[in-house]
Amino acid sequence: MDRHHVIIIGAGIVGVSCAHQLSQRGSRVTLIEAGPGPGVQGATAAGMGHIVVNDGDPDLLKLCLRGREMWRQLLEENVGDRGYWNTGTLWLAEDEEQLQSLERARDRLHSAGVESHTVQGAGLFDLEPALNRNLTGGLRIPHDGVVYAPKVTARLLSQATEVESRFGTRVTRVGDGVVTLEDGTEMKADAVVIASGVSLLENLDGEQDSRWKKILKILPREGHLAITARGTGILRHHVVEAGYQKGAHGVVEEAIACAILPRPTDQLCLGSSRRPGRAGAVDPGVMKKVIDRCERFVPGVRRLPILRTWTGARAATVDGKPLIGPVPGWNRTWLAGGFEGLGITQAPAAAELLAQRIHAETCTLDAGPWDPGRMPVLSAGGRSD
Amino acid sequence: MTKAVRITVDGASLLAQEGQSLTAALMMAGVSAIRRSPSGEARGALCAMGSCHECRATVDGVRGVRTCLVPVKEGLRVEREMKLSRLPLEPSPGGDEGGALQVIETGLAVIGAGPAGLAAACAAAELGMKVVIIDESMGPGGRIWSHRHDPPLAARSWLERAREAGVLKLQGYSVFSGRAGILDVARVTDGKRVRIHCQSMVVATGAMERFLPFPGWTLPGVVGAGALQSLIKGGLNIDGRRVLVAGTGPLLLAVARLAKESGAEVILAEQSSLADRSSLAIPLLLSPSRWKPARQLLKALGGIERYSSSWVTEARGGPGLKEVVLRTPAGDRVMEVEGLAIGYGLIPETRVAVGLGCDLEPTGAVRVDSLQQSSIAGIYCAGEPTGIAGCEAAIDEGLVAGIAAAGKTPKAGLLARVRRHRFWGQALEDAHPLREDLGKLACDSEILCRCEDVTVGDVSEISSIREARLIHRVGMGPCQGRICESAALCQSLSGSDTIRPPWTVVPGENQDISSAQ
Repeated sequence: MDRHHVIIIGAGIVGVSCAHQLSQRGSRVTLIEAGPGPGVQGATAAGMGHIVVNDGDPDLLKLCLRGREMWRQLLEENVGDRGYWNTGTLWLAEDEEQLQSLERARDRLHSAGVESHTVQGAGLFDLEPALNRNLTGGLRIPHDGVVYAPKVTARLLSQATEVESRFGTRVTRVGDGVVTLEDGTEMKADAVVIASGVSLLENLDGEQDSRWKKILKILPREGHLAITARGTGILRHHVVEAGYQKGAHGVVEEAIACAILPRPTDQLCLGSSRRPGRAGAVDPGVMKKVIDRCERFVPGVRRLPILRTWTGARAATVDGKPLIGPVPGWNRTWLAGGFEGLGITQAPAAAELLAQRIHAETCTLDAGPWDPGRMPVLSAGGRSD
Repeated sequence: MTKAVRITVDGASLLAQEGQSLTAALMMAGVSAIRRSPSGEARGALCAMGSCHECRATVDGVRGVRTCLVPVKEGLRVEREMKLSRLPLEPSPGGDEGGALQVIETGLAVIGAGPAGLAAACAAAELGMKVVIIDESMGPGGRIWSHRHDPPLAARSWLERAREAGVLKLQGYSVFSGRAGILDVARVTDGKRVRIHCQSMVVATGAMERFLPFPGWTLPGVVGAGALQSLIKGGLNIDGRRVLVAGTGPLLLAVARLAKESGAEVILAEQSSLADRSSLAIPLLLSPSRWKPARQLLKALGGIERYSSSWVTEARGGPGLKEVVLRTPAGDRVMEVEGLAIGYGLIPETRVAVGLGCDLEPTGAVRVDSLQQSSIAGIYCAGEPTGIAGCEAAIDEGLVAGIAAAGKTPKAGLLARVRRHRFWGQALEDAHPLREDLGKLACDSEILCRCEDVTVGDVSEISSIREARLIHRVGMGPCQGRICESAALCQSLSGSDTIRPPWTVVPGENQDISSAQ
């Protein structure tokens, strides 16, 4: 009998992580990507590359933790762009109320077994002397970190065996276990995995559409980022304002929040913004707001020379949770997307879960919360645009 | 004439001349290495016109200042980026709201004060438009007319006309962002921001030199051909120095002449063959206005050591330049030199135009109609960005753009001259075809991207600019790919980089310094 064959659509960090996991399980993988290479399109190319554990939801926390653990196993520690840069995350509180909310987050993290601690006053500035002295305190999560997603993605793909990559190839239709390419070629496989970010659901075509198409949605959320020149990496931690959860992942329509990430290249990546829509041209007005917001937490940032600015889009879902599992009603086409701002953190864990389900293995994590079939029951209370 | 002043470099005091380019002052003091690359190589100025950022330093506390654009003044403090010390941060006084932005309202904004920009500004201002001209360098005139004391004869009348017509000059400012109707500019020395509101624009950003990597091209002391011209005009004294001027194109002749007149012992090496250049005979015959300057140029070059069909295959030294290997039809010659000025022709500087959204021709030049208007109404483009054709073409195109921007119709004779200039520009380019060997001089271990120290070998197996940028960091440094993208290797990659603000890397925002001055 032929080898188990999987077609993966999208060579971003999620698609390549799936290729890696599936090829480890003996599948023969065909990876199809519209862009010219792995990791150079979409959120993989645009994202900051932070690996953070998100305490907002117990299920999301588990996915983040597993992702973080796997990244640390997959990559060497602190070796430039190729490795896992162990910066830690430092969440920043501007007042007592925010500090209390960070303390509650710390307690939740502790009960999940995640190392973290709060700091106040001088303790905060010992950790990061560049911070604004008016800040009240912070929450430090020491094992969070940074990966440079494009390079790590390319590297992961080069390590995967039995993967045939087809770059510059566009998919026009996906049915159950069948993919049609731009040139009309039809490809069949034992499994099809769609990992195409904000385009996740675009080419799905099947009889049973109507029921879930209203509910399964990808809501693109544009963000703006900037990077400074080298020699300006005056932070050790990824510093994020406590309001970021609300600003960058929450329900607010348009938000700016300070998130500054030191890169192994001794540069700072400055973010962040969030507004509905796909990645468009850089809006200098939004960019200025982002940098001014960063200035509020790290005074002097505005004086650093900026080399480049760009936009990207996070793929959000109606209930704020990723879609990892089969297309409802189908049994050969699978989804891996909707990670919003946590795709890089969660990619290996999501890929592991999907590979385990495709190969009918026991899953490391509970598959239920991510199953795209969960969506109908949530439709009443979910948010949509 | 020149006043001696004191500046400090890494805390040590040294003498320089007031108004001299800071890069030239540093080189005069024997400081040719201005920074260290990420892998630790010593680097010095390459282009001397603000494109390569190799000469950047911390000047008066401002990080990332291009020293080639800074005029020397008493008490200037320079910290080289020899080890990447981290900048102690001081808050901007504007707090997180930012300071008040200076705004200028004008009719026409002209970007670039070279021949095209000056002509456009004069034409429009003389027709009654309010004109602002923005230029990065130390003084007006662009590269060709750059000067420290008296402007060259050809430039004088334009500068006087601009003054009389009330053209407002923003000298020493880079345009880094904008769209039709708005330009954001920053002062190169301290990052002071100014916003310009205008009805129309003329983009006259000139050209850049093409650099082709070869072994040793990153040694301090190896500079562009046009760079040597700028450095001499900016106050670099090369009297008695032995200098090789190499590469291709008519610029080499002008540079060799200036170097010779400045007292250098000049060797000139042109890669194209005599047969290639003989194709210029007919266009030159058809262009009587060029006979006299051509004769003068050839006379001035008399007596210098000249090579044809010859090119540099290697520069050696360490830390500074010691010798070069010149491949000649008679074999390789090793020459001891104190300077190498090398350039492989000019390429249109189109970043501002592209940033504004203007379409390009397949050749890479900005697409314009017969009135020099780009694909965007109200945005005109003149001179080298629309195709390399030299100074006379730039002036005439600038006049057309300025007249059209002012809502008037240029005379038929002027438009006909522009067409003839284009023909001449093409003839010049055809007469200097680049030989294929030049694209293969650099071995795998040679640096391709000088900002990020990416080697030729690093990118040998990729196919697109996106992969070069994102996976290998080619062009991710402060030159934003200006230098490496003209290399054949990058030319063979598919796709192109997206131009996003900042179109030029400028110092961070520094509102307090601006208000103090």
